[in-house]
This record gives sequence, structure tokens and C-alpha cells, in this order.
Amino acid sequence: MTTPEPSEQGGRPRRDAGTPAAPAAASAGLRVLIVDDHSIFRSGLRAELDAGISVLGEAATVDSAIAKVIELQPRVVLLDVHLPGGRGGGGAEVIREAAQRAPHTLFLALSVSDAADDVVSVIRAGARGYITKSASGAEVSDAARRVAGGDAVFSPRLAGFVLDAFGAVAGETAETTEELDRLSVRETEVMRLIARGYSYKEVAGALFIAAKTVETHVSAVLRKLQLSSRHELTAWALARKLL
Amino acid sequence: MTRPRLRLVGGVCAGFAEHTGVSLGRVRLVTVLLSLCGGFGALLYAWLWVTVPSIDSRAAADPLPKSSLARSRVAPSPSAHEARGPTAIARTVDDSGAVRIDHGNIGRPSTADGPFPSADAASTRAAPVTEILLGLALLAAGGALVASRLGADIPLAVVVPTIVVLAGTALAWRQFADIRSGAAQQSSALLVRILGALVLVAVGILLFFVTGTNPNAWTVILAAASVLLGVAVVTAPWLLRLWSDLADERAARAREAERADIAAHLHDSVLQTLALIQQKAGPHSDAARLARAQERELREWLFTGTRGGGEPATDLATALRRIASEIEEDFAVRFEVVTVGSGVGMRSAPGPESTPSSVDAQESLVAAAREAMLNAARHAGGAVSVYLETGTRGIELSVTDRGPGFRLDQISEDRLGVRESILGRMRRAGGTAAVRPGPNGGGTEILLTLPAPPQTKPAPDERHTETSVQ
Repeated sequence: MTTPEPSEQGGRPRRDAGTPAAPAAASAGLRVLIVDDHSIFRSGLRAELDAGISVLGEAATVDSAIAKVIELQPRVVLLDVHLPGGRGGGGAEVIREAAQRAPHTLFLALSVSDAADDVVSVIRAGARGYITKSASGAEVSDAARRVAGGDAVFSPRLAGFVLDAFGAVAGETAETTEELDRLSVRETEVMRLIARGYSYKEVAGALFIAAKTVETHVSAVLRKLQLSSRHELTAWALARKLL
Repeated sequence: MTRPRLRLVGGVCAGFAEHTGVSLGRVRLVTVLLSLCGGFGALLYAWLWVTVPSIDSRAAADPLPKSSLARSRVAPSPSAHEARGPTAIARTVDDSGAVRIDHGNIGRPSTADGPFPSADAASTRAAPVTEILLGLALLAAGGALVASRLGADIPLAVVVPTIVVLAGTALAWRQFADIRSGAAQQSSALLVRILGALVLVAVGILLFFVTGTNPNAWTVILAAASVLLGVAVVTAPWLLRLWSDLADERAARAREAERADIAAHLHDSVLQTLALIQQKAGPHSDAARLARAQERELREWLFTGTRGGGEPATDLATALRRIASEIEEDFAVRFEVVTVGSGVGMRSAPGPESTPSSVDAQESLVAAAREAMLNAARHAGGAVSVYLETGTRGIELSVTDRGPGFRLDQISEDRLGVRESILGRMRRAGGTAAVRPGPNGGGTEILLTLPAPPQTKPAPDERHTETSVQ
């Protein structure tokens, strides 16, 4: 139960994390691209990120972001959810367009909005995590590093949203690990603690499980969030023309 | 009265028999006999067939009488003839400023034709006016037939076409009303019915000329023009309303787009700047606190559409957010409020599921939460998480801080903050409160729970509110 299917859930990100990140990290820290349409925010974030992270470049629109991602092949893209340009799809469009041509790039969504449909749209497009823009530079750096390490990054609010969307509060639990439309008991517990503001390490301590197991659960939840056809999720996805 | 599903022809006799208690055979016999009297029975049968709903479609047909009630209130005193219908409609549209559309003039003109003085009285009730008039028209037609058969001198050449035209008009308008009220399920069938009604109108108009004594080329041209005019007159009100409906919708959409534009702009510029200020200033500074308060206010306006904080909180989540922003104004603290589960009404209109005692209990919960949050702000500061979960088992609320932490047994007896306003309050409200060390032993976590009231109704199991990711 605690380590259900590492081959499937953890496999993809871990493989990604293993091969290309190692040389990159060795040479110049974590290679990051900042995508946001506000220059103040970009420069602010750039200054705030800690020394272990090297910013390869910045982009302000959907089109330039796609071009930059493909050209620079960054490890992590700090991606604003709302972006002008392209076909109006914002951050989700960047992910969909660029992901195939930058196979080792991972996306971390940044948003001021917190509106559920925004979050769902980028996550379902393939973002590995989501944090709010009011997070400090250290928090963003940490989140970027965790995404690069193959983990999913969940903010408390995203965790709260997941609990809601999957009906975990109403007591729905998944019977099998293959079930995509509901959370398992353990996943619900992990999400609950994250929603309470616990860090992964604190979650692990509170549930008496290894930190790695927490990460596995979070990755599993992320996968469900991306693949589930629960109507709450698909409704938003449909509204955003993701399906 | 409804027509049963199992029917011989139209189910009219069966429905009538069931409604009145007369035996079915007798009803059928009378119908046949009446039909022999100049076709009167057949006409009556046809009328009932059209107007009496069949069992399964009754629900769908229901809105119609209501709308006819509305229309009889709104419409001005009826003009005398159906040909004046469109002008009457145009007038109400003008009176009301060309935007508000008079829902109801559809059946109106047909209610107002001269031969039936009872129209007025009928129209003030919630009766299906169109149907009644249709019936009266058919009755009159039958009566005229009988009378002429009996030898009375009735200008059939005028009466019959008039009635046919009136019936067609009424039918057509009724179908239009169906379209508009959305009661129509199969639009193709509806289209056929409308076309049928229009053909009826056309035939009626033609009858005027066919029965004329000496037809010539001018009669034909006049007939053609009249038919076109008649059909136009019948369809005009509907087209007019269709058009103004469209204009209305366009205007509404434009307003919505404008609002979205403003929201998007504020979102992009102001919220971003506020976020940046908070990021730069660090959680303990005044600048960050101000920026955060502003951000909350703006967010509330943008995403919930409510302005200001004047109105009372209607659910726990809103109440908690408001408390959080109030405390943030006074202390160097940042609350992250996450709420999960369907919002529970509080201080809202007392529905069947919110008994007075449960509302009281929730107010106690909010008060205790406020105390806990104040405590965290005073003694810990920094980032504090507030988590509210409204599930089937009850309400659970936790306030977690990363401060120095405290133990209940270390507080002196005379300090009432935690003991009274949190623990005591929750106990009296029928809930529980626990103070324990936060995650990994650092900080404090105050956990408040309130069990669901025992008489919980079917419960909002499946209602997932759109998430409170604020």
C-alpha cells in the first residue's frame, strides 16, 4: 500500500530526474527558465532565487516561452498560468506545445489566481506542481528543486482542492491503486496534512512513514489529477478546452 | 384531465370518462352521436385532443398556463382584432424601453377577437387562454354548421374562413410560445406544427376569396398578397421577440466581457504587484501586511463579486477568511486558510437542516477559531495554517503555527484565553478542542471538532463546492 507501483508513478519523473539533471546540476546548478508576462515579477523572482539555481532566460508570452523552452532545454520552467499570446491557452498551452520537444523539461506552475480551473488546467496539461506567487524566493527555489528531483509540488490550497474534487471529504476512497477517480485512504491522509500546511517531512513524521513514501503518494495524486475523468475535473477541463 | 397512454384514437374519450366517472362506452357513444350532428362531436373531439395534455407530457405543458397568467397581467387591454396584434406588441415593446420584452403577448391578440366577449374574463385567470379560445372558435364553427343545416341564414362564407384563420393564428402563437419558453423538446415536430398552423392561416385567408362569387385575376393577386401578409402578421411578433432576445443576450454578453476584462487587467497588474511586494518584504513587515490585506480585498471583489465586507458571513469559510484578514491587519502574521467540503450555512436563513442549536454551535466554533488564530498571531506569528474540513461526520478545524509552542499544563490557572474561550467554548457547544504540538513537535496545533448534528438530512455528500482555493 505504501509503495504501490513505483514502476509506474515514480518511474517517469525519476528517469527524467536521473539522466539529464545530474550533469546540469554538476555544471551550473539547476537550470531554470522564468515565464511570466510581468517584467517586474520576472526580475524580482530572478533576484530572489537562491544561488543553486541558474536562470537561463525569461519569456513573456506563450510563443516566446515555447521557443525558449525548446531552444534552451531548461530543467525546470517556472510558468505563469496566465500568459498572453499563442492561442490564448496561457501556461497550459506552453506545456502542451513544448513538452514533446523538450522531453527533459519539467513545469512548475506559478499563479496569483488560485482559482480552481486555472490550477486544474495547468496540472492537467502536465505541470508537475503548483505554487502561489506570494511564495518567497526560498520557497520557489525549494519547489523548483523538488520538481527537478521528480517530486510533485502541492501547495496547501491545491491539496485542499484535490480533497474536494475527489470527494475525499465525503468519505469516498479508492478500492484499488489503479482507480483514478478517487484517492486511497493514505493519499487522503497525506493531502489532509499538506492542506494543513505540513511540509513533506512533517507529513512523513506525523504518519510514521518515510519521506520518500510521502513523495510517492503525492506523485500518485498528481497522476490522478492529470488522468482522472471525475466530472469535477473534466468539467473544468472541458471549459478550458483541454479535452 | 389527461389523456392516457393507452388510446384508441386520441385518448380523449378515455380521459374524459376517467375524469368524470362516466363509463367509457357511454362517452364514446355520445361522441359518435354528436359527430353525426353536423360534425359537432368531431370538432369537440379535435379540440380536446389538441388541448388536453397526455399523461407524460403534462409536466412539459405545465408552464404554459402560468405564462398565460403572466401575459394577461402584463398585456394592455386587448385590441379588438387579431390583425392588430403586432401593433399591440410593438407598443408594449416601445413602452418598456425596447429592451424589456413583453413575454406574453403571444396568445394575447387571439384572446381578443370580437365574437367572444368572455375572452377578457377568461384571460384574467390562470386559464389556458389560447386553448379555450381555440375551443370556442371550433364550437362556434360547429354551431354555425348546425345552425345553417337547420336553415338559419348564416354567412358561412365569412364565418368559416374567419374561424379557420383565428384557429391557425392561435395555434401558431401557441407553438411560438413553446419555442420561447424552452418547453419544446423535439424542434422538428414543433416546426411541423408551426408550419401546419401557418398553412391553416393561409387556407383560411384563401377561403375568403375562393368562396367569393366571381373570381378574376385581381382576386388571385389579392389572395396571394393577403396570404403573405397574413403569415407575416402571424410570425411578426415572434420574429420581433426573437430579435430583441438576441439583442438582450448580446448586451448581457458585452457587459460580462467588460467585467472580465477589468478583472483580467486588475488580476494581471495589481495582484502581481501586491504579490511581489509581499515576496520582497517578507512576512513580518508592515508593507507585506498591507499588501496582503489589499490583495485579499481585491481578490474578494474579483472572484466572488461581493464588494466590501459589510454583509454578514454566510458560511464558515467566509467567516474564517474575514477573521484571518482582520487579524492580519493587526499582527505580523500570514494566514493560509484552506477550506474543504461543502460550505455550511451559518446565520443564513434557517433551513430545515440548520437547526438553531447547530447555528449556535457553529458560531461558537468560529469564536473559538478566532481565539486560536489570535493566539497563534500573538505568540507565533509568521505563517499560520488554518484548515477547515466540513465532512459528513462533522466539522474539523485546525490552526497550526510554527511558533515556540506551548503546553496546556504550563499555563497558569488564571489565564483564561485558551482554557475558557477555546476549550470551554467548544465543550459547551458539544464539540471538542485539543491543543497539541505542531508537526514534528514544533509549534502548536489547535484542533477543534464539531460533530454533525444527529438529525442530519441526506447530507451534502455529493456536493463538492468549487474549491475554496480562495
